[in-house]
Amino acid sequence: MNAALISVCVAVLGLSAGAQEIRLGDAPVAHRAHVELLSNAAEVKAGEPQTVVLRFRVEDGFHINSHTPKDELLIPTAIRFNTGSVVKIVDEVYPKGSAFRLPVGAGETVDVYQGEFRVNVQVVVPKGASTLVGVLKYQACDNAVCYPPKSLPVVMTVTGD
Amino acid sequence: MVMQKQQDVQLTQTSSAADPNADPAAKLLLGKTAPSFTLVDLNGKKVSLADYKGHAVVLNFWATYCGPCKLEMPWFQDLQNKYKGQGLVVLGLDEDDGMAVKEVATASKRVGVTYPILMPDDAVAKNYQLSDYIPETFYVDKSGKIVEQTIGAHSKDELEADVQKAIASGGL
Repeated sequence: MNAALISVCVAVLGLSAGAQEIRLGDAPVAHRAHVELLSNAAEVKAGEPQTVVLRFRVEDGFHINSHTPKDELLIPTAIRFNTGSVVKIVDEVYPKGSAFRLPVGAGETVDVYQGEFRVNVQVVVPKGASTLVGVLKYQACDNAVCYPPKSLPVVMTVTGD
Repeated sequence: MVMQKQQDVQLTQTSSAADPNADPAAKLLLGKTAPSFTLVDLNGKKVSLADYKGHAVVLNFWATYCGPCKLEMPWFQDLQNKYKGQGLVVLGLDEDDGMAVKEVATASKRVGVTYPILMPDDAVAKNYQLSDYIPETFYVDKSGKIVEQTIGAHSKDELEADVQKAIASGGL
């Protein structure tokens, strides 16, 4: 485990949480993230397309829209990678969502991610350590309420052998 | 294709699911006079809460990305139609951040509501002590007092009971 990288990730997440704070009356209240990144490093073959798996976990009791929500008004989950990196992004494959029935009214069904989900990112990296950097955009709800759209920093060390 | 060796890390602690009813901000305004506001509707027309003095008013905070909100809104429209003769007014207050008025109008049309949709400002969110989640609804009686405050989607029967409470209260 790369302790330095974990420190960077924690720092990035910490900074993000600070940036997302809102004011409720006179007291600052931090947004809850509801999603965490479980992967922080990978080793792949350098110089050719390789798949890096980004593992995320949605907090228990919550769901986020899948990458392809059935309602165009809903905000899809998607990663926006930083451009200009030595890590070349070839493709991104998002998992299918699962049906979640809202527990009110006739029970409208939405397409969501719950628990752990994985995004397969096809990359080409040079030899040595590179950093894959991006932001996961998502919008979370629980059974009864929804939270504003949020961004989760995605930072992963990819080492090309 | 060769899969890489992966290293995983847990960056944050697990926390329990939200319980809107347990939120300390819930129902802080119950029994108090509804904070005044003047906002613009989707047509750019100014709308003040004071315009509806003597009416029961439902203030429903919603957003286009909120599924539970869009379930409730047609019910509010039905209740607006049903209780219009008894002076009920429903106002939808959009909580999208930075969304164009045109997009909000398209969304509200798709949901099927014709009651006024207002574009709030930060002052309204502060004065109503909104949490960071929606929907949140305030039921204001004819005297301007908040007689019910709810967070999250509720059944149509529950909405109607709260509407009836607002209509029955505060008569002059």
